[in-house]
Amino acid sequence: MVYEECVTDESSWDADEALTAVYTAHYTSLVRLGSLLLRDTGTAEEIVQDAFVAMHGRWHRLRDPHKALAYLRTAVVNRCRSRQRHLVVVDKHTPRTLPDEPSAEQAVLRTAETDRVIEAMRTLPEKQRTVMVLRYYGDLSEAEIADTMGISRGSVKSHAARATKSLRQVLEQSV
Amino acid sequence: MNDNDDSFDELMRRALRDEAGRVEPSDALPEIRARAHAQRRPASRRPWLLTAGVAALGTAAAIGAFAVFTGGDNTANDGDAVAGPGTTTSAASEVPPSQTPSKATPSPVPSQGPTMAPTVKATQPTDRGAPEQSVPSAVVPVYWLGANVGGAQTKKEVRLYRTWTKVSGKPAVEALRVMTQKRPGDPDYYSAWSGAQVNSVTRADDLVTVDFKQLPQTRLDSDVANVAAQQLVYTIQGAMKDAGGTRVQVTEQGHTGSKLFGQVDTSQPLDRAQAADVQAFIWVTAPDDDAVVSSPLKVTGVASVFEAQLNWRIVSEKTRAVLAKGTANTSEAYKFAPFAFSVTKLPPGTYTLEVFEASAVDGSMTSTDSKLLTVK
Repeated sequence: MVYEECVTDESSWDADEALTAVYTAHYTSLVRLGSLLLRDTGTAEEIVQDAFVAMHGRWHRLRDPHKALAYLRTAVVNRCRSRQRHLVVVDKHTPRTLPDEPSAEQAVLRTAETDRVIEAMRTLPEKQRTVMVLRYYGDLSEAEIADTMGISRGSVKSHAARATKSLRQVLEQSV
Repeated sequence: MNDNDDSFDELMRRALRDEAGRVEPSDALPEIRARAHAQRRPASRRPWLLTAGVAALGTAAAIGAFAVFTGGDNTANDGDAVAGPGTTTSAASEVPPSQTPSKATPSPVPSQGPTMAPTVKATQPTDRGAPEQSVPSAVVPVYWLGANVGGAQTKKEVRLYRTWTKVSGKPAVEALRVMTQKRPGDPDYYSAWSGAQVNSVTRADDLVTVDFKQLPQTRLDSDVANVAAQQLVYTIQGAMKDAGGTRVQVTEQGHTGSKLFGQVDTSQPLDRAQAADVQAFIWVTAPDDDAVVSSPLKVTGVASVFEAQLNWRIVSEKTRAVLAKGTANTSEAYKFAPFAFSVTKLPPGTYTLEVFEASAVDGSMTSTDSKLLTVK
C-alpha cells in the first residue's frame, strides 16, 4: 500500500517533529536574516520565534518542510518590514561589535569592507534593502523574492536595479 | 570598487554573510515549543479547518474539481467526487452486485499489486461476500470527528470532517487503515477508531461487512458514539463510491453483537445517517488553504446554513484587523448547496479568510471554515 503522504517521511511528521526539524535546520539563518533586515538581533529573535510558533500551529496545512520554510521566511520578512516601518528613522541600534574573532589582517579587512556595505545598505529605502538582503544573503531567486515580499517580479527587478546603482555610488565614494 | 557585476555580487554576498555570521542566537526551541503548545488556536479564530483544504495539499491535482459542484446537492456523495478527473479508481462497486456469496470469490490480492484481475479461490467465508478489487491508485475520502463550535451549543457536539488520501490497493481497506492508524491532517480532528485493527472488508450486494481484529476500546457518550459509527459508514461508502446504498455490518473476529464505543448495537448493519445530522456545515472548496491568489479573490464552497445565508470576513494576519466582510447566499437553505462570492480591492498581504454562519441566537460565529491566503 502506498500512501501519498508517505512518499517522504517528512510529510508524516507531526507538528512537533516538524518544528524540531525545521528549527534545527533554519532557526539560526532566519534570525540572521531578520537581524540583517532590522539590525536588531533581539527583535529578530523574537520575530523568528513568533513565526515558528505560528508555523507549528499551521503545520497540518503546510505539511511540507519546504512550504514551512517559505512560510517562515515570508512571516519573518513581513514582520521585520512592518517593524521597520514603525520604527522611527533613527537607528538606535548601532552595529554589534565583533565577538572574539581571529584578528588576522584578512579578518580586519573583511570586517571593514563589511561595515562599509552594511553602512551603505542603511541608506537604501526599506524595500530595496529587503530585496538586496533576500537576494544576497537569502540566495533567493527573483520569483522567490517576489513571493516572499508579496510584490511582482518586475518590482523586485527594479528595486534591485535601483539599489545596486545607489550602493555602487555610495561604496565608490566611501573607498 | 570594481564596476564588474560579478565582483559587486561577490562583495554583497561576502559582506552580508559576514555580517550575518556575527549573530549567534541562543537556543530557543524549548521556549518556542512551550509557546506553541500554550497557544492552541482560539476557537473564534479557526475552530476547524475544512477537510477539502487539507486534501488539496497532496491530492488536489488528482481530485481535480470537486465534483460536488456539478453533482447533486448531497455533498457527501463521495462516489461522484472520487470519480473526478485524474483518478484511476476501479472501485469495488464495480463488482457485479449479482455476485452471490455462494459463488467463487476473488481472493485478497496483495494490496500493492496493481492487478485488476482477481484470482479465483473458494476459501473465503461464504457468508460475507467478495472482498474489494485492488486498484493501482485511488483517491478516497476519510472521515474524522471534529468538535462543532457554536454559540448556542450547550453540550459538546461532534461532526464529520473529510480529508482525501491517495491510496493504492483495496480502497475501503486502505481508507480504514488511514482512519484507524494515521493522524488526520488537522489537529482539531480525531478518529474514534484510532487503534482499531481491520481484518477485512467484504461486500455482498448492499451489505458491506467490516471485520475487525479488534474494535476500538473507547467508550463514548451516545451522541458522539453515533457520529463515530457514521465515521466508519461514511468512510466505507466513500471508498466504495456508494453514498447511502449500502449498509455496514461491523464484526469483531467474525462475530456480531459487540457494542461499539459501549453504545452502538452492531447486531444489525448500520445505515448511513443523513448528512445534515452528521456532516460539517460549511466547507470552503476554493481557494485552497495557503494559496497565493490575486485580487479580486473568488471564493467557492458548499454549505448548509439557515436561510441560505452565510458570512465571511478577511482578517489581516499581521494586524488582526478585519479588512473586508460580507454575506453570501447558498442556492438553497437547510441543505448542502454551493455558494460563491468575490472579494475585491485586497491589497497584497497575508490574510485569513473565515466563512461562518452567524448564530441565530446570539450572532456569534459558528461552523467557521477558514483559509490562509496570500494576495499578490
